Order: sequence, then C-alpha cells, then structure tokens
Amino acid sequence: MNKYKKPGQWKAYLAITWYAFRAQTRNPATFAFGFIFPVVFISIFGLIGGSGSKLNVGIPNDTPENQLVRTIEQQKFLKIERSDPESLNKKLRQGRLSGIVEIKENQSKKYSVTILTSTANAIEAQSLTSAMRGFVNQANLELSGIKNPPITLIQTEVSGRTFRYIDFALPGQIGFSLLSTAIFGTVFGLIYLKKALILKRMFATPTKPLTILLGQGTSRLIIALVQTLLILAIGVVVFKFYLPHGFITFLELIVVSAIGLIAFLGFGYFFAGLANDENSAGPMVNLVTLPQFLLSGTFFPTDSLPTWLQPIANNLPLSYFNLAVRKITTEGGHLNDTVPYLTGLIIWGIVMYLLAARTFRWE
Amino acid sequence: MVKSVSKPNSSSEIIQVTNLVKKFGDFTAVNNISFSVKQGEIFGILGPNGAGKTTTLEIMETLQKQTDGIVMIDGIDTIQHPWEVKSRIGIQLQASNFYPELNLVELLKMFAAMYDVEVDPMQMLKKVQLEDKAKSFANKLSGGQKQRFSIAATLVNKPKIIFLDEPTTGLDPQARLNLWDMIEDIKKEGITFVITTHYMEEAEKLCDRIAIMDGGKILKIATPKKFINDLIDSGFKKEIIRQEATLEDVFLNLTGKKLRDE
Repeated sequence: MNKYKKPGQWKAYLAITWYAFRAQTRNPATFAFGFIFPVVFISIFGLIGGSGSKLNVGIPNDTPENQLVRTIEQQKFLKIERSDPESLNKKLRQGRLSGIVEIKENQSKKYSVTILTSTANAIEAQSLTSAMRGFVNQANLELSGIKNPPITLIQTEVSGRTFRYIDFALPGQIGFSLLSTAIFGTVFGLIYLKKALILKRMFATPTKPLTILLGQGTSRLIIALVQTLLILAIGVVVFKFYLPHGFITFLELIVVSAIGLIAFLGFGYFFAGLANDENSAGPMVNLVTLPQFLLSGTFFPTDSLPTWLQPIANNLPLSYFNLAVRKITTEGGHLNDTVPYLTGLIIWGIVMYLLAARTFRWE
Repeated sequence: MVKSVSKPNSSSEIIQVTNLVKKFGDFTAVNNISFSVKQGEIFGILGPNGAGKTTTLEIMETLQKQTDGIVMIDGIDTIQHPWEVKSRIGIQLQASNFYPELNLVELLKMFAAMYDVEVDPMQMLKKVQLEDKAKSFANKLSGGQKQRFSIAATLVNKPKIIFLDEPTTGLDPQARLNLWDMIEDIKKEGITFVITTHYMEEAEKLCDRIAIMDGGKILKIATPKKFINDLIDSGFKKEIIRQEATLEDVFLNLTGKKLRDE
C-alpha cells in the first residue's frame, strides 16, 4: 500500500540549511555576539597572558649598592620598583607590591635583610620570602668561603614551553562562544520564528518537522564552526597559541567542537520549546549558561572551587567540553583521550533532545 | 504526484468534512460540523471572533488534529496521509510572516525546495505584481504587498486548493479590491479557495458559497444571494434609506482605485 510516497527531505534540508545560514549572516546580532565578542575576549586574555606573571618588589631609594641588590635585580621573575619608603609602603598595603626588601649595612660590614609583606597578597608574599631566603643563604655560603656545600639543589625544567594564560583561556573561550551561539542564538532565533509564525508556515509544507529543525541546527553549526576557526586563528597567529600536534590537533579540535555544539544545540531547542517569548526565555537561558561560564573552568580552573562543588562543576556539559579541548591542546592528547568527556557531552545532548522533543511547539 | 482518487458520488466535492469535532480540554472549539466544498468554487467561512473558523481551517490544512470526525481533501484523509494533503494545498496563515533577512526570490526558492518542486520565482512574482520587489526583504513590504506575496507563496506547489485565513484584514480599500481581483484570476485556473473573513462585503462579492459559523457550529450554508433572499422571504425588512452611494464609493472616487503600496 504505497499509494502515497513520502516527499523527499534531502532537498528541503539543504535549502533550509542554506537559507537559514543566509538569514543569519545578514543579521547584525550574529556578528556582534558570534564574532566581535569572542575576538574582544580572546584579545583581552591574550594580553593578560602576554607579560607573564612577575612579583613586584619594592626597594627603597636609599638602599646602598651591593651584591645582594644586584642578584635581586638580575632575577627575571622579579619586577623591581624603586621609590621612597612611604609610597612603597602605601602600595604594599594596597596589594600592588608583593613585598618590600630593605637591605641595611652596619659598621661591621654585616648586612641585615628585612622583607615587608602584606596580608593583602599572601601567596605572592610567601613566594617572595622563599626566593629571598634562597638568595640570602647563597650569599651567606659564598661570603663564608664555602665553595663545596654538602647539599646541592639542582632544579631541572621539565616543560619545554612556558604555560601562559592564553593556553588556558583560549579553549575556555571556544566553549564559551559555542555555548552562547548554540543556546542564545537558537533560543532567541527560534522564538522569533515561532512568534512570527514562520516555523508554522514551514510546518505547513510537506517537509517534515525534524528536517526543518535539523536544517536550522545545521546552519547554526556552520556559523559556530566558523566562529571556532576564527578564535583559533587569532589565538595561533596573534597570540602564538600552542597546538601540540599542529594540524592534527586543529582537526581534532574541530571534531570536539562539532560534538560539543550538537549537544549544546539540544539545550537551545529545549529552551526554545519551553519558553513562549523572549521575556521568559531570558532568565531561563541565563540560569543555564551563567553558572556554566563560572563553574566549568572557562575563566579559571575548577580546582580552585570548593570540594563539595567540584562533582557538580565537573559534570556540566561545558566542563566536559573544556576538559576535552584542554586534553587535546594543553596536555597534547588525542581524540581517544577525550572519550570519557565526549561521552558525557553526548549523554547531555541525548537528554536535552529527548526533553526538547516533548516540549517543542510550532507557534 | 499521485493522481487523486475521488469517490464517484463526490466527483465535484474536493473537500468533505464529516462530523468534525475539536476540543481543547473542556472547551469545544468545533462542535460536530459537516460540509463540503465543490471543485473550483470560493468557499467562505464567516463568523465572529472565536467562532471556530481558524481551527476548522487549520484542521483541513493538517496543522491541527481533530478530536473526532473525518476530513477528506481531494479524496485523501488528512489524518492518514497528512504529507500528501500538504503537497496538494496552498496555505496562507493569519498574520504569518516570512524570514525577515531573505528576499522574495530566496523565500520562493526555499518554499519550492520544501515542496520538492521547481519554480520560476520571477514569473510567480509577476503574477502577484511584485516583480520589481524581487530583491526586497519581506518585512520591508507594505501590508498589501505582503498579502500578495503570501498568495504567491501558496502557489509554489501548484495546489488544487488554497486556504486563506483573513487575507484582507488590515488592508486599505485599494489593496483589498486588488487582492479580490487576484483571487478571481487564480480561481479561473480551476483552483478551489477556502477563505475566512470578517467582512460581509468580501464574502458577498467574492464567495460562491458561505458557511456562517458561531460557537463552533455551522448555522447555515448557502450562496450569498440565497442568504439574502431567504432573509427577505422571511419577512425581514431593513429600514431603507435611499442612498445612491456608500462612503466607500466616495473614498474610492476621491482616491482612485489605483493600488498604493508606500
């Protein structure tokens, strides 16, 4: 009984994808949120990482020239600031200096070194104190004429490259952009199409609902992948973002991005179905995206979160995505190393698509 | 496309609606109505807001599923073969829009792909006098142009039946007259129309037959002339004020019948 053939879907799918893509490229919001924002963000993060982190050390102007001062000045990780004691003290209290080093020489040619630190900057204070202790010990040994001490400390650098903030920030930035495009773009885009009855008019054609939604989704997928390429290109070209295996890493990043994006689109469809208008969609979407931006290791590592929060934070979809991307970039792994995270993403995706299938309405 | 298989006793009836019921929870929007539409006629559904016109139309268009009853479009059951029905009908939704970022040619091409047919967009636009707007975006059109474009979009798949839901609501008198002419022209190609409207004048001038609906029920179906004659025969008398012209005649006499868009 095949009297009535089902209409072909392939041509409709391609047409919807293409024209939804055309429509989006003509929409100024696509460029603002999809391209300009990520570029601005990545530039800021790139500049943060550019200078590297240094300890700011104040040395009062009246400090006499001696071997110890020269040693301190030679250290690359220290940034020396010379000023009068009063203004140095003020900066220390404000946390703008890691510490002040006062070196005094008394009549009997002996030195006393005082480190002033502030509670405003406890971690840096500790680093500076350890460093200074090292210099002082070294100087003491040399001045005491001990050339061959019983214990020698040898430090070997293992990592061949310096880890910069951009190397952490860029993967997070890709996740951030994809999640924004997938959720904000899809939710507000589809709500508009619903309210203007554009989706309903499309639904009135013999094209299947799934084909219509797949076409819409594919067009967003293309836009978001272009976005990923742009962020990566700026990262690599301008800020020397490190791709451990070059082009292979690049391709693997694209694969992970596509899988992540498909999962994130599920959230978009779910909320586009749940919300009736932009006003109710706004809070819903922010409720889902904002915690993820903060908790998923987008801007800072999840290790710094309290222990009770970590199980939640580590299982968010954006966390899985960030972990997978960092596995490939920072840790130099391959796709097979990201399987647990990709599985997590796919499970999130399946759950969201099932929910979306229940909530979606055409008008 | 499969040829229609119509029952012998209903060769001229292209739509048959039998005992149609649609409930939303406790509310009965359409309450057991039956009617049929003849091939090639313009069939009007009239009624106040909330009468059930749009619901009835959307069930015929397969956009909603009925609670009970059967709707046959060109001999095909809307529940059993919705895709087949969709490919044979043209639909203009009440207050529907189009992608604001696509131009008219692109929109027609997209619809053609969704119906899995080939079209010549320019020729279709010419039919509705919009060929000079080919590269315009749909949201830049005036009300009348938008409705004409909606009609062009209903023609993409060469439908046998076109459904128009309040096509002239919000249009100025010139645009309304122009749209009526357009519908009459398309009707000449043998296409059947089902139209809902609030405007009695529109129903009287345009429709071959009218169903008057209220509270989910069809009160009566007849030709406009028969409706009026029946009312007169029943002894109805309207206080006659001898008037050679209406205000609309004045308006059109002053502003001309030329179509304005912008």
